[in-house]
Amino acid sequence: MSVLRARGLDVSLGALKVIDGLDLDLAAGRVLGLVGESGAGKSMIGRTIAQLLPRGFAVTAGSLAFDGRDLLRMPRGERRALLGRDIAFIPQEPLTALNPVMTIGAQLDEHLTRLGVADRRAAAVAALEAVHLPDPAALLRRYPHQLSGGMCQRVLIAMAFAGRPKLVVADEPTTALDVTIQARIMELMAELQRAHGTAVLFITHDLRLAAQICDEVLVLYAGAVAERGPVRSVLATPAHPYTRCLSLANPAMHGPPRVLYTLPEQMPGLREIASLRGCRFAPRCPLATEACERGPPPLADVGSGQAAACIRPQATRSIVAPPAPEPTGPVARGAALLEVSGVSKRFRTGSLLRRSETLAVRDASFAIAAGEFVAVVGESGSGKSTLGRLIVGLEHVSVGRIVLAGRDVTRPGAAVRAHRIAHVQMVFQDPQSALNPRRRIGSIVTQALEASGAARVARDTRAVDLLRDMGLASALAARTPSQLSGGQRQRVNIARALCNVPTLLVADEIVSGLDVSVQAQLLTLLQRLRQEHQFALLFISHDLSVVRHLCDRVLVMRAGEIVEAGPVADVFARPAHPYTQVLLASVPPEVETVYAEPAT
Amino acid sequence: MRKLRSGRVIAGLLLVLLVLGCAIFARQFAPHDPDDQNLLTTFLPPAWSVGGDAAYPLGTDGLGRDVLSRLLYGARVAMTVALVASFGAMALGAVLAYAAGYLGGWVDWLIGRAVDVWMSFPPVILSLILMTGLGVGARNVILAIILVDWTRFCRVLRSEVIVVARRDYVAAARLVGFSHWRTVVREVVPATVPLLLTLLTLEMGIAVVVEAILSFVGLGVDPSQVAWGQMIADGRQSIYDAPWTLIAPVIAIFLTVAGFNLLGDGLRRNLDVRMVEGRA
Repeated sequence: MSVLRARGLDVSLGALKVIDGLDLDLAAGRVLGLVGESGAGKSMIGRTIAQLLPRGFAVTAGSLAFDGRDLLRMPRGERRALLGRDIAFIPQEPLTALNPVMTIGAQLDEHLTRLGVADRRAAAVAALEAVHLPDPAALLRRYPHQLSGGMCQRVLIAMAFAGRPKLVVADEPTTALDVTIQARIMELMAELQRAHGTAVLFITHDLRLAAQICDEVLVLYAGAVAERGPVRSVLATPAHPYTRCLSLANPAMHGPPRVLYTLPEQMPGLREIASLRGCRFAPRCPLATEACERGPPPLADVGSGQAAACIRPQATRSIVAPPAPEPTGPVARGAALLEVSGVSKRFRTGSLLRRSETLAVRDASFAIAAGEFVAVVGESGSGKSTLGRLIVGLEHVSVGRIVLAGRDVTRPGAAVRAHRIAHVQMVFQDPQSALNPRRRIGSIVTQALEASGAARVARDTRAVDLLRDMGLASALAARTPSQLSGGQRQRVNIARALCNVPTLLVADEIVSGLDVSVQAQLLTLLQRLRQEHQFALLFISHDLSVVRHLCDRVLVMRAGEIVEAGPVADVFARPAHPYTQVLLASVPPEVETVYAEPAT
Repeated sequence: MRKLRSGRVIAGLLLVLLVLGCAIFARQFAPHDPDDQNLLTTFLPPAWSVGGDAAYPLGTDGLGRDVLSRLLYGARVAMTVALVASFGAMALGAVLAYAAGYLGGWVDWLIGRAVDVWMSFPPVILSLILMTGLGVGARNVILAIILVDWTRFCRVLRSEVIVVARRDYVAAARLVGFSHWRTVVREVVPATVPLLLTLLTLEMGIAVVVEAILSFVGLGVDPSQVAWGQMIADGRQSIYDAPWTLIAPVIAIFLTVAGFNLLGDGLRRNLDVRMVEGRA
């Protein structure tokens, strides 16, 4: 019998359906992945189980049963007794999920009291041991802020599994964590799941991560299931065009470099869905025909346990990434554009009396040639963002020397600032914070001209040029950032940096937090812009597959130090430093999409 | 601007405009000269009660002066002080807040400590001391309010400026070559205008009260000018014989302050990003 079973489940916001007719079966001891990009409605399903739907959202049709009992119609008290005990949750943000004013021990104790455990202290220690936390007895006395994000997530996992639940709902449990920690948390979840035979509903945006732990996946698109099936066959032979496009949009960690498949536009919003009569994916689908517009396609079996909501699933395999452009050869390495030698950055923290110093960057030396794409990889706190800020001049170096385009820019000054403005620009991580919400897009992208006092007409012309360069409609110039999607905002962010044609661009995590299809659009855009504008790029990222796809050389940073540097291909193939090896081993293993068109 | 059409904003705005209209057109509306004494008709009750006179709609005070006319002319002082003092306090407080929040470091430390010291004086005592030193007069009332209340703006605005100045778009503006001045004017200030508007409106209500208090104790405007606080002080002596001479200015102050507070609160609810998001 299924632990969790949904039939024709509809979740609506007013007249708009957020989840449309979801069927779902999760058997005991199995792991089901719910995969989708943001806006697909995957988190709504977790919230429906917890009955924590945001205001205005309600289940309007269908059934949802846990262990044969109707979750939607059972009395409130009965459901509350189930939650946390038989149905446990692992949240996305471990640091905000724990009470900051209570010790770990007190929070575990509270939870175990509710579960009715007799020897709570022993049980708490045992629970922490089960998630491989060192010295559990000491940990019980500590507060959440004294623990790292990964340790907090382990505590939460220990709590979730402490009651031997039948079902665990994990909503993006590793998004807030570094890659190496992500790998360990995934292992841990798999281990506990196998040990107790728990059923797990694993909600994620990352198909590869799902492949690591799930037995089956449901791929959601715009609130409806696009494809369902065993995870390996869904990844290897996607039957729905959307799944295939997603797989082809993901940069690979192995194999020859290839061009990413870029889906146009983005997933339709709630209102747009309501106006679509046929297949929801049809407006973006490369294979869409008139027949697709007629009505929503049913989820039909396509063999090997897979089912896809597509009227011509056999055609899906014909989608291939565009052919690679004529190889232009490696970009000619010109003279060094940027030379960083022996740079360190100290931050002073604390009060006058208890002053402590941290070295965010320690003795960093490297060079970037004109037109070269160099990546900086490392985990949070490794100093990679500080390094970027030192280069653009948002922070000043404590020790060392930075030479940019033939001029020493180490010490701040008016002439140095002017030189920097002419040569280096930065693209910020979070477009939400990087774009002034009160400015129009046209005014944002030409800010550099405003600084030099250019005429209105010149600015307008340049704005249209820049937007066209970014693949954005010129009509967007009159809009404000809040009217744009995440991907469009990030393009505006890039456009502003390119306005005065810098020779070096520093990009700090500019594709993290974006959906795979949008990420592919941006990476392709950067590669095209590189051909057209010949700028060099310092690409700060934690995503190794993106780095492999985009960059020529890589610097691996750890605790403020550059531990390894070299051409991407060499470093990834033969990592010399143990830390680089750990980093590479943390990338979820790939299931390679069967790429070539089968002979017919 | 559509989002400003809330009940609070409209009610507050109507009240404020009503009082402002009274102040501007006091000469046209007032049935008598506010200083005209008629010692034959002292303590006349309002027109609708027994013994009232239709020529004096709200009755007369101990010197036979028309209460309604005095109220209308009193609105002039109240509104002048409210508007000028609030803008003045905002100007002083905001400039220091932008400097402290944007520049940070020792500038922030210095301004922050100045605000701390300033705010540790009880505001009423401080304004009384200032008035004693400066002497009476509308101009000095305004000066006293500015010197006491700039800290309100400075402290609240500074924390907002710090939040805005940390946004990446402010750093981006510097990187494309904006001067500090241009960065503050074009990037920081627009983001703080909603907060500033709200604070300004609330401060106007406070200024009306402060002016009334100072006039009540005789340290406010010049005695030749009509002020609501003075009317209350006069009415206090005959509170049992002629309560309307006291009640009328109290109601006038109440309506004016309620108007400013409703408006300010409505603005805050509709402009504050955090509160707007909280309701969504």
